[in-house]
Order: sequence, then C-alpha cells, then structure tokens
Amino acid sequence: MVITFPNMGNVALAMQTLCQSLKIPYVLPGRNNKATLQIGSYYSPEEICLPFKLVLGNFIQSIEKGADTLLITGSCGPCRFGEYCELLMKILSKLGYNNLDFIVADLSSEIGIKEFMRRMSRISAASPISRSDKIKALYTAFKVVELCDKIDAMAYHLAGYETNKGECKQVLNEYKTKAFECKNPEEMMRLLDFYKKYFENISTNNNKDPLKISIIGEIFTIIEPFSNFYIEEKLMDYGVSTRRTLSPSWWVKNLILKPIKMDSKDINRAAGEYMPYAVGGHGRECVGEAVLAKGYGMDGAIQIYPLGCMPEVIAKSILPAIQRDKDFPIMTLIVDEVAGEAGYITRVEAFLDMLQSKKRHLKVQEPLVSRPVTVRCLGNHN
Amino acid sequence: MEKNYYLGVDVGSVSTNLVLMDEDYMVCEKLYLKTSGHPVETLKNGLMRMAGRFGSSVKIRATGATGSGRQLAGMLIDADVIKNEITAHAVAASSIEPNVRTIIEIGGQDSKIIFLKEGIVYDFAMNTVCAAGTGSFLDRQASRLDIPIEEFGRYALKAQNPVRIAGRCAVFAESDMIHKQQTGHCSEDIIAGLCEALVRNYLNNLAKGKNIEEPIMFQGGVAANVGIVAAFEKILNKKIIIPRYYDVMGAYGAAILAKEEIERSGKETCFFGFESINDNFDVKSIECKDCSNMCEVIKISSNGELKACWGDRCGKWGALPGKVSIRN
Repeated sequence: MVITFPNMGNVALAMQTLCQSLKIPYVLPGRNNKATLQIGSYYSPEEICLPFKLVLGNFIQSIEKGADTLLITGSCGPCRFGEYCELLMKILSKLGYNNLDFIVADLSSEIGIKEFMRRMSRISAASPISRSDKIKALYTAFKVVELCDKIDAMAYHLAGYETNKGECKQVLNEYKTKAFECKNPEEMMRLLDFYKKYFENISTNNNKDPLKISIIGEIFTIIEPFSNFYIEEKLMDYGVSTRRTLSPSWWVKNLILKPIKMDSKDINRAAGEYMPYAVGGHGRECVGEAVLAKGYGMDGAIQIYPLGCMPEVIAKSILPAIQRDKDFPIMTLIVDEVAGEAGYITRVEAFLDMLQSKKRHLKVQEPLVSRPVTVRCLGNHN
Repeated sequence: MEKNYYLGVDVGSVSTNLVLMDEDYMVCEKLYLKTSGHPVETLKNGLMRMAGRFGSSVKIRATGATGSGRQLAGMLIDADVIKNEITAHAVAASSIEPNVRTIIEIGGQDSKIIFLKEGIVYDFAMNTVCAAGTGSFLDRQASRLDIPIEEFGRYALKAQNPVRIAGRCAVFAESDMIHKQQTGHCSEDIIAGLCEALVRNYLNNLAKGKNIEEPIMFQGGVAANVGIVAAFEKILNKKIIIPRYYDVMGAYGAAILAKEEIERSGKETCFFGFESINDNFDVKSIECKDCSNMCEVIKISSNGELKACWGDRCGKWGALPGKVSIRN
C-alpha cells in the first residue's frame, strides 16, 4: 500500500508526518502548479469547481509516482464536495487506473462510527507500529498542522509590522520548503519550534498602522495558496496584515466539536442575524466571519471562492448588507482556471487604495484628491 | 520660469493613452492610440509623437502609468508612480467633478463601477468572468454589421422599436442579434436593443443592490457610444455626465497621481526623456524550472542588458543585482 492525499495547504505536511510516524509508504503530492491544474481540468467535468480539478490533478500525478491508495475527505453535505469521491473513482477508473484503493474519510456522524472505524482501520492495518504509538502519531500529526497554521498566521499578521521589508514572506517560504524535506516527525517538530520562535522574536515596529484584512470564503481556495494566486503572500508584499480563521487545524477541531454542536459557536452566532441556517460548505462561516471581522480590528475583508460554489454564492449575496450595516468594505474574488492575474491584482490594489484612503479620511478629513482642478469648481459646490 | 509638466500613460487592452498635463491640471495634449496587441510599440509610437510635438521644450516633472499594462509601461518610461486603473479613474473624475458619486467606466476588456462619497472611494466592482458589453464586443458587432464603430451608437438613436436581446453573455447576445436580423428587424432596432441589453447586464452584474447616485460620470472608450449613453439615461432615469477627455481619463488620473507623488516625496523624476524611446526594449517570458511552483517570469531587457524581472514567487529573479524593483 502506497498512500497519497490531495495537496491542500498545511494538510499535506500533517499527512506527511502521519505517514512517517505510522511507517506507511506514501507519495507526497507535489506543490500545486500549472501542470497539476492542466491535467486536472482536462479530465474533470466542465462545470466542476476548481478544488476538484486540483485534487484530480494531484491524484493523477501521485499515481504516476506509484501511489495506489488514495485518501480523501468526503462529505454527504449539500455542495458539490459531496460528489467528489464518486466522481474521482469514476474518472480514474475510466482513465484505466484500475487497481486503486479509495479511503473516504466521511464524517462519523454521517456514516456511523462503525463504518468510520472500519475505513480508518484499513490505514491502521498497514502500519507496523503499536496501537498506542498510532494514537501518538495521530496526535503528533495534529500538532504539526496546528503549529504550521499558527506560524502561518503569525507571518501573515507580522508582515504588516516587520522592520525588514520582505522578511516574513521570505522566512515563511523558507520554512515551508524545509518542512517538506523533513524525514521524520521529530525533525519536523524541531523545525516548526524553531520557526515559531523565530517569528515570536522577529523585529517589528509596533508604531506602524498597517491595513488589516480578513480572508474569508470557501475553505479550499483560501487555504491552498495556488488556487488564490497566493493572495496572502501578495498582501505581505504590500505590507498588509492578514487574518484568516479557517485553516486545516480549525477544520479538524470544528469536525470534532460538531457532533456535540459546539462547533464555531461565535461565528454561527454572529452569522445568525443574516443567515440563521447552514447552507452547505462554509457559507455560514463566511457570513459570520464577515460580521466578526470589524470587531477583530480589520479594515476590510476579501471573500474568495471557486466559480460556481453554491454556498459562497449565497454568502456573497448577503455580504453587501453587512458591508452597508457595519460600514465595512468587503470585496469578492472568484477563482477558476484563469491564467491572467492582472485583473485580480488590479482589484486587490484598488481595494487596498480604497481602504487606505478610508483609513486616512477617518484620521484627518482628507479627500481623495488634495486639490481640485479649479478653485471655481470647488466654490460652486460648497 | 519654466513650466512643469506631468505625463500619464494608460496601457489598456484595446487602447494606449497618453496625457500631458500642466501644473494647473489642464490637459495640454492627449493621445488615444489602438494597442493592437503591441503595447511596447504603441507606447513608443505615442511617446515619439509627444516628442515630435513638444521635444525638449517641456520639462517633465513626473510620470505615472496605469492600465492592465501598467507594469510594462512603468518599466519602459521609468514611471514615478504605477497605479491601478480603478484608483486612476476615480482620481481623474473627482478632480473634474469633486462631488462625483458614481463613475461608470467601460473599456475594451473590462467594465467597472466606482462609488465615491466626499471624494473617497467607498465601493467598486469590476466585471467578473464575462466580457459582454465591453468595447471589444461592441467593436466586433459593429464590424459584423459592417457599420463603423463611430457610427454604431447613432444607429441606436434612430430606432423606432428596440428589440429585446439577452445581454447576459456575449455569445447569447450575438445569437439573439442574428436571430432578430434573420426575422427581418432593421439594424437600428437591433443595435438599440443591444445597447439596452448591455446596460442592463452591466447594472445587473456590477451594481446589484447598490445605490447609483448623481452626479454620474461615464468614462472609457465606450462613453463615445451615444446609444449606450442613451440606454443608461433611459434605464437609470438619471443624467449621465461625459467628461471632455472621457477616453483618456485613466492616463489623466495617472498624471495627477504622478504630480501628487512627486510633490509628496520631493524626489526628482526617474523619467529619462522622450529620447530614451529609441532604446531597444525586449520582453521575454520564461518558465522557471527551479522548483515545482514553475512561475512564469517576465524579463525585460534594454539594448541587451537585463533591466527587470517579475512574476516569480520566491523573489530570486526580481532580486537580481542592479535590477529595478517593480513594486513600491
């Protein structure tokens, strides 16, 4: 059994650690790039959303490197994610990859704890280590993803305050590259501890008042940087501090808390006024995050979702109301297989200009153009 | 005393515009050129024409670049400020009409709506995935009907009974137009119907749930189309203002931003004169194979010497010694 999994932000690092601890052979999906997307979209149904194309691309690339067991999270939920595993099975078998084993990690509340354990035991059975070590391995893997998310969050936040321009981004990329090269869980933990301390002690200028932006929207497209044109890194270039609640570790914690209805209580409560029901995916979380963002001290929010994502389309239609009620700017970016970044950059830059002039205006009453063309013009209207 | 001038360039998908502005924010010269897929040549050509007219008699104090080709243009003229076209348009419009509340901007490939209050942009939207209703589509329809684009709008005004056309998508709209033409409707009615459909699509796409308040300014190449303007006025039931330099407002905004930037920073301009346009610029794009990100790196060289690189995620190319940093 050679296992592989989709590349989805820090999830890949957690899975890498897990497979290493369990001593199960694995194929690490390469970083998502144009080739992944090209392969994925070629074999995908025309109208499927972007994450599917990337997942399929990952799998085909990994199978060619020798993987035979594909691990994917499933969902019986009301968005297209619910049909991912069936579609993947059909497409891959049509492509002639017949000896594949799929392990679909559906929610235990949906498939029953017995079925869930049966599926998981297939991975477990391939591991030679003891039961208690397996539990420890699971815990370490979670620790890894939690640490990674924490380090990322620090880097994205500190980018607005750094004294040495570009340091946060550079170190962030450096640790990601090194993490993928780690040979065992101990090495990984040491590396992550080192970088966590690095960011804790990075030189910052707290007198700075950078723009602060919340990244909200569909979980895959916000946690897998390739799918959103590396928006968080771009914002780092502009010296913007970003915040994102949705992350792989948030997702895991949320799933554990779901059966006892303790999942994302604050977000759901905040969303309640605008969207009292779950609409699939993370539509309700998107609305809740938009409502909460101003309270976190954010200047604006950017919603990102793949073209045609139903839950986010619903959320998008609610965002203008929040924008109006809270006087809080929100911009939406819809991503798909598009190579032209120019349109996205234009929107992001214009959004930053807008937030900046709003911020300046709040401090001193300074209009967009300091001097109008003619005095006559100004005189007429005052 | 020698007067200072400011140069703004807007390299868009369809047109490349240049504006030379004086210290009193007056437009001294404007050029509206077709990009025709060759931004570098078109921009050089435009600068050459400026040079021919003004030569060394004007002192350029600052330059600004905007438009989808702003990075490239900024590189070519060593612009003092490189700004996105949304900000440039907003700045230009509020210089002319400080109280402007809504800006409708329709260009060759994209359309935008910008909302302002007290001179501050508070919301904007840009068309997402569909180019229906932009200049390129109108161009195509005009050439299909064999009507010069300059005349296109006037046909719409002559319509007696505008037909109903689906403006949701450029492909559907074209099928609809052909269907209407084959059932015997006259061109005037079809064109008027198209204008209304495109305006409805624009409003539906960009302005849904937003308040369009007056004064409303309409800029960008499509503002020349009287049919579209009439359709906007009819559907909104509001007056539309077309500024005198509607077609080069982006470049005008870039010139204003350049003036402000240089006054704020107190620096000298990086502009090295119209004569530098003779420099041989060469743009190449390569796919970096050093890691699995496979970034598309754009390299610009002048007279065989590498001047700038961008497009790489790791910063390795952009940080090559002696290169100009594009951002900031």
